[in-house]
Amino acid sequence: MNKWWWLFLFILFWTGAGFAIFGVKQNQDLGNTCLPIHAERIVSAAPNLTEILFALGLEEKIVGVTAHCNYPPAAAKKTKIGTFWQPDIEAVIAAKPDLVITVGFEQQKNLAERLNRLGYKTLTVNIEKISDLFEAIKKIGIATGREYDANIMVRSIKNRLDEMAALIGTKDKVSVLWVVQREPLRVAGRDTFINEIIELAGGENAMGPTVYKYPPIGAEQVIACKPDVIIQPTMGQENLAEQQEKALRYWRRFSGAPAVKDGRIYVINGDIVSRLGPRLPEAAETIAGCLRPKLFKN
Amino acid sequence: MKELLTPKKLIVKIATALALLAVVMVVCSLIGSQKTSYGIFVHVRLPRVILACIVGAALACAGVVFQSLLRNPLADPYILGISSGAGLGAIIAVISGVNWTLWGRSPIAVFAFAGALGTVWLVWFIGRLAGKSHVTGLLLAGVVVNAFFSAVIMFLTSIAKSDQVYSTIFWLMGNMTEEDFFVLWFGVGCVAAGMLALFYISPQLNALSFGEDDARSMGVNIAGTRIIAFAIAAAITAVAVSLSGLIGFVGLIIPHGVRLVFGPDHRQLLPLSGIVGAIFLVAADTLARIIVAPAQLPVGVVTAIVGGPFFLVLLVKYSRRIGWLGK
Repeated sequence: MNKWWWLFLFILFWTGAGFAIFGVKQNQDLGNTCLPIHAERIVSAAPNLTEILFALGLEEKIVGVTAHCNYPPAAAKKTKIGTFWQPDIEAVIAAKPDLVITVGFEQQKNLAERLNRLGYKTLTVNIEKISDLFEAIKKIGIATGREYDANIMVRSIKNRLDEMAALIGTKDKVSVLWVVQREPLRVAGRDTFINEIIELAGGENAMGPTVYKYPPIGAEQVIACKPDVIIQPTMGQENLAEQQEKALRYWRRFSGAPAVKDGRIYVINGDIVSRLGPRLPEAAETIAGCLRPKLFKN
Repeated sequence: MKELLTPKKLIVKIATALALLAVVMVVCSLIGSQKTSYGIFVHVRLPRVILACIVGAALACAGVVFQSLLRNPLADPYILGISSGAGLGAIIAVISGVNWTLWGRSPIAVFAFAGALGTVWLVWFIGRLAGKSHVTGLLLAGVVVNAFFSAVIMFLTSIAKSDQVYSTIFWLMGNMTEEDFFVLWFGVGCVAAGMLALFYISPQLNALSFGEDDARSMGVNIAGTRIIAFAIAAAITAVAVSLSGLIGFVGLIIPHGVRLVFGPDHRQLLPLSGIVGAIFLVAADTLARIIVAPAQLPVGVVTAIVGGPFFLVLLVKYSRRIGWLGK
């Protein structure tokens, strides 16, 4: 049994040495305090964050964006740090940032935590609802020393939304089916920011409350929920006309639904409506235009 | 067996393999999507390469043990439900949104570790209830528990939020990131201790792989050897899984490859499999990092795509010379 003692001693020694060399790690908090710092080299890990940073006039200071960041067009020319879902930590470090901004999704939080451990300053903002967006803009404003511009931006977004609401007034709600994915069919449920935008635009989600955020539905439900309008955002920047054509062909099978009968099926630019960013008023106006074409001529 | 294994030969082989491992480690940490700077080398690549070593060695060794104990060439470290148990633990951690760390480990790692060990214990328990024909009972229990937990995982995935689903899927496909040196230190310790212990009992494993009756006639304590080997293999697999998610294929093909080339003697099969597994996973992970840079492939994809054909070549070339499983 002698050799088992050696093994036991090895484990003891190794454990002791581990604690001696590295000490017991205290878990540091995320560097999420919103102290104003003079960030000169900012990395944005999400397309909507990039849009916010550009809108705050920080174009010169952005040193890294994701491969999905394509708006404003200048963003596409910035150095890439991987994708939204799989940011490349090496590329982030190579960009020598003094502030890395991420959103609250798991992969993004994970990036922030890892960078934190290596001593980089990070800011993680949760943007899941419209109210979160305003909070996030303000936080980013504070963290980058653009608090004033951030407040103006929030106010102007709110103003534009209010103007639109005034134009729509208290007309009847238009019922909207928001299609996330066609095969298999998945639509936006009530507990989403899409739902918020639909309501801002004077619509109402044709889907009632559901267990899933983006419930998969069958043909029966499409007809039963009687949508006046079907809206389908594109994935990426493909040819809108061609997609519209395909969508019409697909939806023909649900001829019982009012939207299909009246030909009110809209394919819209997905980038605008699926990113909660400074283009929120544009998104809401686009949707309002689909719901009430006469009211919103352009 | 053509020649006898002497301690000297064994040491030379292990030393050569270790030297090769060191070379691969250095070369692989110099390759990446960005120019190598000190910070990237020390804080990002080196920890990741060391992690790959730990995980590769642990999975390959566990694979050797499971294949010989279950006397089944299809056995791998995940066959007794460790993967699904760990996966279930991980997805529960993600969905419940618990947010604490234990010695620098995320809840996913802790839950996965607990899930893995719990599942192995459950399978072992059921297998024992199933009675005398221990091995068959164990295998069946493992397969059924695996299927059941996979179904639960799929159910949980279908009700989870989309970003949670995403991060679980990345974890299930194998997720290598740079780790704290503190964590790596203990990973190395656990796996090294486990390998050493398995090496101690390798003569008994040799006897067991001839079959229970032969082993008994050689005076081997079958039940004792079996439970020690199982416990250690399960423990190092659980460590590997909690460090890096589910990385398939290493634990299946490396033991077979080494066995085909060097023969079935566990005294050299175990250490060589461990080292070759480490080399293989370091190389595979480096490929996963650079092929689609700056994005990354799941390392499991690379292990299967690269390892599969390579293994088939070995199979055809060597299995004519030696009988299957060396018998």
